[in-house]
Amino acid sequence: MDKDFIARGMQRCSTGKFLLWLFPWVALLIFGVYSAALCLIKGLNQTNMDNRFAFGAWIFLDLTVIALGAGAFFTGFLLYILKMKELKAVINSAVVIGFVCYSGAVVVLAVDVGQPLRAWFTFWYPNVHSMLTEVTFCISCYLMVLLIEYIPIVLKNRKLREIPSMLVFEHELHKLIYVLAAVGTFLSFFHQGSLGGLYGVLRGRPFAFREHLGIWPSTFFLFILSAAAVGPSFILLTTWLVEKISRKKLVPPEALRLLGRVSGMLLSVYVLLKCVDTLIWMNRTSMVRGFVPAQYYAFEPFGEWVLFAELVLFGIVPAAILLVPKLREKTGWLVSAAAMACCGVALNRFVQTIQTMALPTLSFDKFLMYTPSWQEIGAFLMVVAYGVLVYSFSFRYFELFPQERQLRIESAAAKPQHETAVGGR
Amino acid sequence: MLPWNYGFHFTTGPIIFMGIFYTVLVIVATTVISAVLRSRRAMREHHTEHIRWHSEFDDLTTPARLCRYALTGEMPGRICPNGFDCRHCDVRAHLVAKLPEAQPAEAVVVVAGMAFPTDRLYHRGHTWVKQEADGTVTVGVDEVAKLILGAPDKIDLPHVGRQLRLNGVAWSVSKGRTTARVLAPLDGKVVAHGGPADNWRLRIRPTDADMSHLLTANEIRPWVTREIQRLHVALAAVGVQTEPGQQHRPDIAANHPDADLDAVCAHMFLHR
Repeated sequence: MDKDFIARGMQRCSTGKFLLWLFPWVALLIFGVYSAALCLIKGLNQTNMDNRFAFGAWIFLDLTVIALGAGAFFTGFLLYILKMKELKAVINSAVVIGFVCYSGAVVVLAVDVGQPLRAWFTFWYPNVHSMLTEVTFCISCYLMVLLIEYIPIVLKNRKLREIPSMLVFEHELHKLIYVLAAVGTFLSFFHQGSLGGLYGVLRGRPFAFREHLGIWPSTFFLFILSAAAVGPSFILLTTWLVEKISRKKLVPPEALRLLGRVSGMLLSVYVLLKCVDTLIWMNRTSMVRGFVPAQYYAFEPFGEWVLFAELVLFGIVPAAILLVPKLREKTGWLVSAAAMACCGVALNRFVQTIQTMALPTLSFDKFLMYTPSWQEIGAFLMVVAYGVLVYSFSFRYFELFPQERQLRIESAAAKPQHETAVGGR
Repeated sequence: MLPWNYGFHFTTGPIIFMGIFYTVLVIVATTVISAVLRSRRAMREHHTEHIRWHSEFDDLTTPARLCRYALTGEMPGRICPNGFDCRHCDVRAHLVAKLPEAQPAEAVVVVAGMAFPTDRLYHRGHTWVKQEADGTVTVGVDEVAKLILGAPDKIDLPHVGRQLRLNGVAWSVSKGRTTARVLAPLDGKVVAHGGPADNWRLRIRPTDADMSHLLTANEIRPWVTREIQRLHVALAAVGVQTEPGQQHRPDIAANHPDADLDAVCAHMFLHR
């Protein structure tokens, strides 16, 4: 039915199968929209957050999604600025993932902040002393850049290319895409950093507070580095997942291995700096403020295992796997390490957000546990469903993996071919 | 934060932040506006077909983009960097000076049972160009194209007087559910259409006498051999295979009406 919109040479499932795939995600989206609407209409009393626990599941998941979405800017940076041509195979998918992650994060933030009719206040009456101001400005700008980067992918659709003006505009915009890649890199560096800086400046919460380098706390740099490290891992992981779900070869293995190598190198630097930062924090920053680090890990479930999992299990281990060429050659190791790296960044954002809020800081404070309400979970599931739907449509109708056609032909060529026997006149 | 905002102060922090923020906005806006203006200019100057070809050429598979000298074995594995426009290619100029082309020994080159007369030049998109006495050229499709599509159900020819651009769309053909675009082998103005009894489809008055981008007699055999291999692979990719020793019967489109021959045509006729 929709065959004319699917690029020539790309095999896609039937329209019926596609609709069947969409059905559960649309159902989830409807449930999520209902949950978000409840929060927007009735207010934050629909959530389990309160004045003490002002940052909950939404902020944790937002930070995770934004870190994982960093694959878009970092892949663009590697391809267009550092000229790593192998990554052309995944750049379109990376842009869509980045767009989905950032637009989803902005939607959840809008629900969290509430009062959508006053959203413009953040630009008109910004708080010059808040890191969140920089985050708001950078994320808004970067979302705009991602939207512009998404346009050439849409315009490459088989039907849209038949319209000459679309074809020409796509070509001209694509020629300038390196400018947008550079701007995206600049914006991403700053807002990833500011999101980290947000925790590092919390003087009243010694668990999160860190030493400063210049005007920036160390978390500013660690967030940038961790996002740049796991972004390629997330692209690797999603590409592998799409290959498995669609049962197609979409990118050459070299592209995935390169993503793994880049991720491994950055992850090693990140883990090293994170270990140094943790040692300084344990032996100096926290002690100066009158807190013995063991106190932070005295409240279950946040035992020492959290630190071990973050630094070793999801830090050093995946970095080591990704750095060994022989292990990178094996898809199982490569994908497992990428998944572990992604879990590591999620755990880091969880610790920074939830554990920071849960720990007592004053003598009369108590350890506070928080469980998100179903409305909070529903609102986030809305973003997940939205992401899957946007990606599914993009995968079906746009060329997210430009080498898919060539790989299909190559796999046909690899099958035993007999002598040239064409003609028969 | 911004000069017109409530509470704005001209101090270092806000000025730096504001400067960076506005610079980013200006760069993004300039990029988009520049793309729009360049598009308008390209449309006005009729570069659409040129853009279409170069955009699609980059997306062709590696074997489809091989240089003519890679086909003949003189430069193995070389990918054409010029979109098959050899007229300004330094490598070609160098090779032609070094190895002047020999005269063809045969009037017809036969490859896999298909005949390719050597009195004409061939385009990589499976058209041929034959010089006529009145200065015009006739253009038709070669045997590989006929093997795939046989007798088309419908042909959309450009109107007489239309200016064709090299590697732009010359005409399109439909067969069953399959549509293919045939690329123009040269720049020129359409002066006549071929009738059903003619072997050719278009008569064109070239606007550029240089036809050095077209394949000559000595290049036919290696090129067609490679094209047949590409065709085999493209057909296998859509599930059309022959048993060892068997041949594809002419008019593959009619013989395999259920196969996705759109993909095969795009592959062989060098478009998306």
